[in-house]
Amino acid sequence: MSRLLAAPANLRRRHRAARAFRAICTVLTWFCLVLLAVLLVHATREGLPWLDLQFLSEFPSRFPERAGIKSALYGTLWLIGFTALFSIPIGVSAAIYLEEYAGRSRINTAIEVSIANLAGVPSIVYGILGLAVFVRWMALGRSVLAGAMTMSLLILPVIIIASREALRAVPNSIRYAAYALGATKWQTVRHHVLPSALSGILTGTILALSRAIGETAPLIMIGALTYVAFVPSGPMDQFTALPIQIFNWVSRPQQDFHELAAAGIVVLLVVLLLMNAVAVFIRHRSQRYRL
Amino acid sequence: MSDPKVVDVPVETKEAVAPDVPVLEVRDLTIRYGDKPAIRNVSLVIPERKITAIIGPSGCGKSTLLRQLNRMNDFIPDCNMDGQILYRGIDLYDPEVDPVEVRRRIGMVFQKPNPFPKTIYRNISWGPVINGFKGDLNALVESSLQRAALWEEVKDRLTESALSLSGGQQQRLCIARALALQPEVILMDEPASALDPVSTSRIEDLCFELKERYTIVIVTHNMQQAARISDFTAFLDTGKLVEFGETDQVFTRPREKRTEDYVSGRFG
Amino acid sequence: MFLCALLSIVVTIGIIVVLAFEAVAFFRHVSIVEFFTDTRWFPLLEPRHFGVLPLLAGTFTIVVGSAVIGIPVGVASAIYLSEYASARARGIVKPVLEILAGIPTVVYGYFALTFVTPLLKHVVPSTNIFNAASASIVVGIMILPMVASLCDDALRAVPDSLRQGAYALGATPFEVATRVVVPGALSGIVASFVLALSRAVGETMAVTIAAGATPKLTLNPFESIQTMTAYIVQVSLGDTPAGSTEYQTIFAVGALLFCITLAANLAANRILRRFREVYE
Repeated sequence: MSRLLAAPANLRRRHRAARAFRAICTVLTWFCLVLLAVLLVHATREGLPWLDLQFLSEFPSRFPERAGIKSALYGTLWLIGFTALFSIPIGVSAAIYLEEYAGRSRINTAIEVSIANLAGVPSIVYGILGLAVFVRWMALGRSVLAGAMTMSLLILPVIIIASREALRAVPNSIRYAAYALGATKWQTVRHHVLPSALSGILTGTILALSRAIGETAPLIMIGALTYVAFVPSGPMDQFTALPIQIFNWVSRPQQDFHELAAAGIVVLLVVLLLMNAVAVFIRHRSQRYRL
Repeated sequence: MSDPKVVDVPVETKEAVAPDVPVLEVRDLTIRYGDKPAIRNVSLVIPERKITAIIGPSGCGKSTLLRQLNRMNDFIPDCNMDGQILYRGIDLYDPEVDPVEVRRRIGMVFQKPNPFPKTIYRNISWGPVINGFKGDLNALVESSLQRAALWEEVKDRLTESALSLSGGQQQRLCIARALALQPEVILMDEPASALDPVSTSRIEDLCFELKERYTIVIVTHNMQQAARISDFTAFLDTGKLVEFGETDQVFTRPREKRTEDYVSGRFG
Repeated sequence: MFLCALLSIVVTIGIIVVLAFEAVAFFRHVSIVEFFTDTRWFPLLEPRHFGVLPLLAGTFTIVVGSAVIGIPVGVASAIYLSEYASARARGIVKPVLEILAGIPTVVYGYFALTFVTPLLKHVVPSTNIFNAASASIVVGIMILPMVASLCDDALRAVPDSLRQGAYALGATPFEVATRVVVPGALSGIVASFVLALSRAVGETMAVTIAAGATPKLTLNPFESIQTMTAYIVQVSLGDTPAGSTEYQTIFAVGALLFCITLAANLAANRILRRFREVYE
C-alpha cells in the first residue's frame, strides 16, 4: 500500500534529473582537485631531479647542468623586503584612516572607489605605470627600488582591503569601553583596536606579499633582467626574481631548460606554501584565543 | 466565499483507502538528534478535518514532532526515529515512499513568512507547476488565494513582488501557496507568532474556514490561541505526550496534574 | 594617515595620466581610425601596420575559451559547495580552490606549454606549439576559483527559509537549487562572471608563454596568436628606445586594456548594486 505514496513516473523523472545534476556538480568540483594534483605532480616530477644544493647556489648559465637560481632567490628576497617596507605601513595606515577616522565626504567616497577599482587593474598596467614613473621619470632605472615601489602599488589595495576587514571585525564594544574611560581616538586605536586586529592584518599582509612574489609581468615591464649573474648589493642595483627566471627558462626551446623551470617552480611553490602556512597558523592561533 | 469550479487535482489518496482509516496517526514515535531524544514514545491520532493544537513549554519537541509529519526532518543529518507515522494507513517512512510525494499531500506553513522573492502569482503557481500540474493555472491561483482570504486584497496586483505585502499578508500568501497543492493536511508551525495581533486574529479566522476541507495541525506556544481555535489539543512536555483530548476538556478538566499546571500558567 | 589613503586616488590618476600622455602622443602619429580598423599589427617591421584588431581578437579568443571552462566548472563547484557538500567536503574543496587561485601565473604558463599542449597535440595533431587553446584552458583553470568563491558567497546569502519553503512544496534538490536559490543569487553570480572575465582579459604570463607572439585574426584556437598583454611583454623584452613609436604602442595598447578592464569592473559593481536581491 505504500506504493500509493511511491514516486509516479514524472516524479521519477524529476528525481533522475536531480541525481544527474548532483552528479555533474560533484564530478566537476572534484575534478578541480584532480587538476591541482596533476599540476603539482607534473612540475615536481620534471623539476625534482634538478633540485639540489648546487641549483640553489649557482647563477644561471647557458649550460643547463651548471645553472642555478641564486640570483633569482636573492633578488626576490631583496624585492619583497623593500616591498613590505613600503606597502605595509602605507596600507595599514590607510586602512586605519578609512575605518576609524573617515566620515562621509566626497573625497572619502572617491578614495573608496579608487581602491576598489585599483584592485581590479591588471598587473601589467601597474608595470607600465612603474616603467613610466619610477624607471623613467624618477630615473631610478631598472633597480630593486623601482621594482619594489611598483609592487607596493600593486598589492596596496589588497592590503588595505584585508586590513579594513580585520579592523571591522573588532567589536564596537571594545571601542566604546575605551572611550568611556576617557581615551582619545588614537589611544583607543593604538592600545585596543590594532592589537585586536593584528592577526587579521598580519594574515592579509602575508597573503598579499605571497601574491607579490609570484608576479612577473610588472617586473618585466620595469626591466628586471632575465640574465643576471650577480646578487644585488643595494637597492639601486639591477636584479632578477624567481618568476622572471622561471619565465626565462620556459621561453627557451630546449627541454632541459623546461625542466630547470620546473625546478624553479618547485622552489617558488615551496616558498609560497611556507608563507601561506604561516598565515594560516597565525589565523588559527588568534581564533583559539578569541572569546 | 464562493467556490470556483473544481480544478484538476493530484490523486486523492483518500479514495484509494477506506475513508474511516485515520488521516494521520503517530505510533510510539521516538525522535533523536544523535543520541539525545527530543520526542519519546508519542502515540496519537490526528482527527480528520479538525484543528489539532500541539502545546507545551519551550524545547518540549513540538516543532520536531511537526516536522517529522511531512518528512522535513530528513534534511537534518543526525536526526533518527523509532516508531511509525501512518498517513491513511501508509507508513510515511517506508523505503518505497517518496518524500516529495509526501510533502505534496501534507503541506507546511512556517513560523516566519518565507515567500519567494517572485511575483505573487508565481509564488502560488510555482508548487503546482513543479509537480506537473497541467490544468488551468489562473483558476488554481485564484481559488487558492480565495481560500486563504487574500484574493480581494491582491487580485489587482498579482504581478507585483510578494515582498511588497505586509507581514500578515505574506503569511496568508504562504498559506495560499500550500493550499495550491491541494493537500489533505496542513501543518502550521507557530504561524502567527511573528505577526501583530490584528493579523494573528485574521490567521485564526482563516483556520476556522480551512478546517472544513483540510486537517490542520498547529503548533503554538500561545495557550489562549490553542483554546480559541482548536478542536483537539495535545500537550507535550520534555518530549512526552502528557495528555491528548478535546480542547474543552484539556483546558477546563485536565486529567493530568502537569497539564493543569501548564494551562493555568504555573510554568512554561 | 589621510595622505596614505589619498595615495589611492593619486595612483588612479597617475595610471590614467601616464597612459593618456603617451597614448595621445602615439595617436599623433597613427590615426585612431587606423588603430581600430586595420586588421594587421606589424608595429616593428616595415611596412608598418597599427591595427589593434588582431590583438583584440587574440585577447577575445582567450577570454571566450577560458569562459567555456572556468564558468561552468566554477558555478557547478559553487552549487556543490553551497547545496550538496558536507562540512568535511567543504573543508577539502575550499582550500583546494584557494590554492588553485594562489598559484602564480608563470606556473600556469609552464603547465600550458609543457603539459596541455602535448596533450592537445595527441588529440588534434595540427596543433601548433604555441596555440590559443592551451592558454585558454589554463586561464580557465585560473579564473574558476574566483567564480566558485564569489558564486558560493552569493548562493549562501540566500536565506535557508526560502529553501525550506520550496522543499515543503514538494520540490527536488535540483529544482530548489535551480529554480529558487540560483535565481535568488543571480546578480552576485552574473557579477562574478564579469569580474572573472575581466581577470582573463588582463592575464599576461600564461598567454605570453603558451599562446604565442603572432598577432593574427583567426578563429582557429589551435594556431598561435598574440594577446594585448603578450604584445606589451614582447615589446618590453626588446630594446625599444623611449619616445619611439614602438615605445608608445605599449601605452596605446595598455590604455585600451585598462579601459576594457575598468569598464568590466564598473559594470560588475553596477550589477551588484542595482540588482541586489531583497529577500525579506
